[in-house]
Amino acid sequence: MSLRPDRITEKERMRALLNHQKPDRVPIWSFGTLFAIINSGYKVGNLYRDPAALTAMRQFMRQYNWISTPMVGYSIVGAKEYGGEIKFPTSEYAQAPMVSRYPVETEEDAWRLTLPDIKMAGMVPKALTAIRQIRENPPDNEPFAIVILSGAFTAAGNICSVERLCRWLVRKPTVAHRVLRLATDLMVEIGRFIADSLGTDDIVPFIGEPTSSNQLISAKHFAEFAFPYNKEINEKLLAMGYRHIFCHVCGDQNLNLPYWAQIPMGSPGLVSIGHEVDIETAAQYFPNDIIVGNIETGTIQMGTPAQVYELSRRCIEKGKKCPGGFILAPGCELPPRAPKENIGMITQAVNDFGWYDA
Amino acid sequence: MASPERTKEILKQLHEAVVHYDEEKAAEWSKIALEEGVDPFIAIMDGLANGMVEVGDLYNKKEYFVPELLMCADALYAGLNILKPAVDASGRRAGAKASIVLGVVEGDVHDIGKNLVKLMFEAAGWTVYDLGRDVPLDKFVEELVKTNCDIVGISAMMTTSMLAMPVVIKKLRAQNPNVRIMLGGAPITQDAVEMYGADGYAKSAGTAVDEAIKLIKMLKKEELGR
Repeated sequence: MSLRPDRITEKERMRALLNHQKPDRVPIWSFGTLFAIINSGYKVGNLYRDPAALTAMRQFMRQYNWISTPMVGYSIVGAKEYGGEIKFPTSEYAQAPMVSRYPVETEEDAWRLTLPDIKMAGMVPKALTAIRQIRENPPDNEPFAIVILSGAFTAAGNICSVERLCRWLVRKPTVAHRVLRLATDLMVEIGRFIADSLGTDDIVPFIGEPTSSNQLISAKHFAEFAFPYNKEINEKLLAMGYRHIFCHVCGDQNLNLPYWAQIPMGSPGLVSIGHEVDIETAAQYFPNDIIVGNIETGTIQMGTPAQVYELSRRCIEKGKKCPGGFILAPGCELPPRAPKENIGMITQAVNDFGWYDA
Repeated sequence: MASPERTKEILKQLHEAVVHYDEEKAAEWSKIALEEGVDPFIAIMDGLANGMVEVGDLYNKKEYFVPELLMCADALYAGLNILKPAVDASGRRAGAKASIVLGVVEGDVHDIGKNLVKLMFEAAGWTVYDLGRDVPLDKFVEELVKTNCDIVGISAMMTTSMLAMPVVIKKLRAQNPNVRIMLGGAPITQDAVEMYGADGYAKSAGTAVDEAIKLIKMLKKEELGR
């Protein structure tokens, strides 16, 4: 790859974006934690338990001119925190921890459950330790650390299972609301505990909300069961002092966008979209936020380098017009075993089309 | 014995019970069907299962989503639980059209889609062998041998777990070169089907049965009937 040399660091680039200024070029967000782990010689499961793997992953990220934001936590937050059981990945085909026993299996469970002792709950102690370590000596490609929370609906699915939650939306809406309340309060209290323990400088909460996509639920159900709780989470996190929220609006969320647009994301927020949502559409709904996305991950995994390059180019072309700013990224987790040649094409495309002075 | 008009009314009520996810109504009209001498097999296929066909269409048109599909499934099973024993007791073979092994591949636990596909096949009169989720690769082959099924359906929701699919497919073909293999899951496309050596894929639960029938026709070159 022949790349134009960077004159500023990723940290400086992101600082410009986060201060509503145009950077020198489009930054690249890899979503590539697992890709980096595997290509550093570790297994997926090491990410969740091995500090050496986390260090190696952070070093790996520098090779591709990526913004590196160590992501602390896991996507199934809610399950273990409320007393369920989870299983860390061991199979080479696994990508994330799985819930092996849900804390809520009956309506009675839902009403009985109360907020846990946050400082001891699930991922929280390790998240705190990890953020402290990350802060000790952050390199120039790490503008902030990310603590993984969850959207309310996704967290509720982690607590009682998605299938049970979907049934309760229709059959027992009060029970569904109860689980959503449990999910919301947990996310808020984790955010509060991190803020009280470490402050909010250079920490960005990550809210992933795949379960509320229209591939699963209607906009009508989103309006009643996801929107008010997600709004509450974000409002409360921002009131604690977090300046930016990274919201991964995953999947086909097109019918939900009018509601998402009413949820504050920060000043600015970072709104990450999947390939199902067009960048220009997202920019209309989030004119003041940074749009992150949205190279289709299937193409990254199975396509040719030329296809990845062209997809990246198209994303950059649309993204550079986003009024709130733009970061190029895959539409979701970078496939951990994607061919390296394909990954390199993302960086090449930014080099060729991503400069604002070109 | 119900008259043709009455039979038509009963089948319509069963159909609507499923479409409107009314479990009580599905159970009630299933009992009425038996009491009034409607062939329970006809009640299942032309009443309940027909309702699921419409549900599949509503899902494809994005009028119904997963919660509604699950509710409709509950209504379907409320009726099946009453009618199927009657079919079995009559000694009549329900005449399973074909059989399919279904499973979510190793490393993946996203099984709602697979469960909805299972429901569609059962509603259509297929025999379904459900392996569940996070299924070790060799288990697909073991089940193929055990059941001698017509089709193996493999599901994956993640780009990581879909990498297991070509490995499973190779093992399945080594066991039985003629087995038809169908893929499913969010990252699956026609390109993936061709690259991995499968025979087809279900874009959604609503289209899964039709796709499987096409594969069976390819395999057997004869029309499936009732």
